[in-house]
Amino acid sequence: MPLLERSDWYDIARDTNWTPDFVPREELFPSELSDPYDIPQAEWETFDEPYKVSYREYVKVQREKDSSAYSVKAALSRSKFHDGLDEGWASVLKLHYGAVALTEYQASQFQARMVRFGPSPSMRNMATYGMLDELRHAQLQLYFPHELLPRDRHYDWAHEAAHTNNWAILGGRHAMDDVMMCRDAITGAIMVSFAFETGLTNLQMVGLSTDATNMGDFTFANMITSIQSDEARHAQLGSPAIEIMIKNGRKAEAQQAVDVAFWRMWRLFAITVGIPMDYYIPLEQRHLSFKEFMHEWIIRQYDRQVRELGLETPWYWDLLKDDIENHHHCQQGGIWSWRPTVWWNPPGAVGPREREWLEEKYPGWNDSFGTYWDVITDNLLNDREEKTHPECIPIICNMCQIPISNRPGKLWKARVYQHEHEGRRYNFCTEPCRWIFTTDPERYKKHESIVDRMYSGEINPPTLDNVLTYMGIGVVSEGGHDGHDYRWIDGFRAQAAE
Amino acid sequence: MPDMDQKRRNSVGPVLRAGEVADAVVEAIQEDNPDKDFVIENRIAYVRVETEGECFIRQETLSEMLGRPITMPEVEINLTSFAGRIETTDTYMRFYLEKEL
Repeated sequence: MPLLERSDWYDIARDTNWTPDFVPREELFPSELSDPYDIPQAEWETFDEPYKVSYREYVKVQREKDSSAYSVKAALSRSKFHDGLDEGWASVLKLHYGAVALTEYQASQFQARMVRFGPSPSMRNMATYGMLDELRHAQLQLYFPHELLPRDRHYDWAHEAAHTNNWAILGGRHAMDDVMMCRDAITGAIMVSFAFETGLTNLQMVGLSTDATNMGDFTFANMITSIQSDEARHAQLGSPAIEIMIKNGRKAEAQQAVDVAFWRMWRLFAITVGIPMDYYIPLEQRHLSFKEFMHEWIIRQYDRQVRELGLETPWYWDLLKDDIENHHHCQQGGIWSWRPTVWWNPPGAVGPREREWLEEKYPGWNDSFGTYWDVITDNLLNDREEKTHPECIPIICNMCQIPISNRPGKLWKARVYQHEHEGRRYNFCTEPCRWIFTTDPERYKKHESIVDRMYSGEINPPTLDNVLTYMGIGVVSEGGHDGHDYRWIDGFRAQAAE
Repeated sequence: MPDMDQKRRNSVGPVLRAGEVADAVVEAIQEDNPDKDFVIENRIAYVRVETEGECFIRQETLSEMLGRPITMPEVEINLTSFAGRIETTDTYMRFYLEKEL
């Protein structure tokens, strides 16, 4: 029997829709979960996703993707790859799985919201695949680290991290709750499908695969690029939503959704991708710097896509370019100093050769971030390890939940951006984080950062042990230590001996 | 970097997982878009294939280069990302931009 071409039947199969008789449409699609922008139903019916797939094709292709990911894993789990693995790379894996695995379930719930409340039938259809995609991602990223558990309890954070109040998780949860869990289908499609999945997920899932391949971790490289091939498809839900918003006089709202979500994701991804690329991955295995990957994927590819759809480059783009030079370098210093609070073993990894590389990739690194590490190096060389642990508590941004920091050295740029709202003073790391708060204070005003919780009585008494326990340290696993047991200072010892 | 960001501002094209499909796409895309110059960037785990404004991957040419039949939906297995907009049909994939900047 001859089969019709997909294009001959696709639209009619996809556009299952009807006019509700038993309940008013507003009850079936309440605006706060569906479309709060009052765009006519007829407009949503023009929604035409550019990346088309039928259910039959979907199942076939996904089966092949899974069989490839699992068979590569099965083959390589017999290799000795993880025996004597560099702890820098192990930390990349631990950080990745802890931050990402359960976030995929949130992403699936978000897609499910579009499946149920998307105002357009084609959106609901495509989001069904997106919902299944995200389940696959969660299951892959829970199953893969599970086999590493007998080697190292840190891998348990893949499953446990999201259930703790670890400071890094508070940051991720605050952002994901904001853009994924607490948005209507349309704003979410713009924030998640467009601002998040066509942009920064490429760094985590494709950019990092280059370094993974260089490390010989083909299992991980294969898995993350397999994941991103799903993202590339279901991310296409965002662009028709934006174009329909613009056509119906809602450009300002679409622009704000993009600007808010992108900045929120940027602050997190600089930590989960930027620090690994520029510090944790051994020098010999680095391909490009984080900054170079950011230019390839974001400054060129993502910004171009924003403008293609009729939006403007986000207002803070110059601040972003500046933050690309600063944010992850600051957080590498902070996370390393506070290493007992995280579930991986961050290597300092700033020996003489690494510093040369950093200076080449980020001119001025030695005169700024280098001065911070000079003090640490000096303490380590003189057997004062205890002095490398900070005595005071950082100030935490009330938006991204990350310690407030900026370029040290002569060009000292660290400052706090404050805002008063209903008698409470909020601290922010940057102008965009403060701006996001002002766009919707009701949404954000009650949240307490980890440090707020030490003073509000939530962590009582706020002793170091209590704070660590509150964060899951010593509960899920022990906290971190220097991943290379300070061997990165050996180069300075050799220099001093000469 | 800023120079390259500016120079390649109208670039479009697929980003593929390195492997036989990526190799076949690189060959097929040049055959099917003879008037275009392509930039092929090998990033070890992935290959970025870009040209100005518009390009096509055709199922027939791709199957020929691959030495076995491949359907367009099967390209998705290796298509980790792409620059520009996409159009997907049974016989070709098109990457393009509507606005020139």
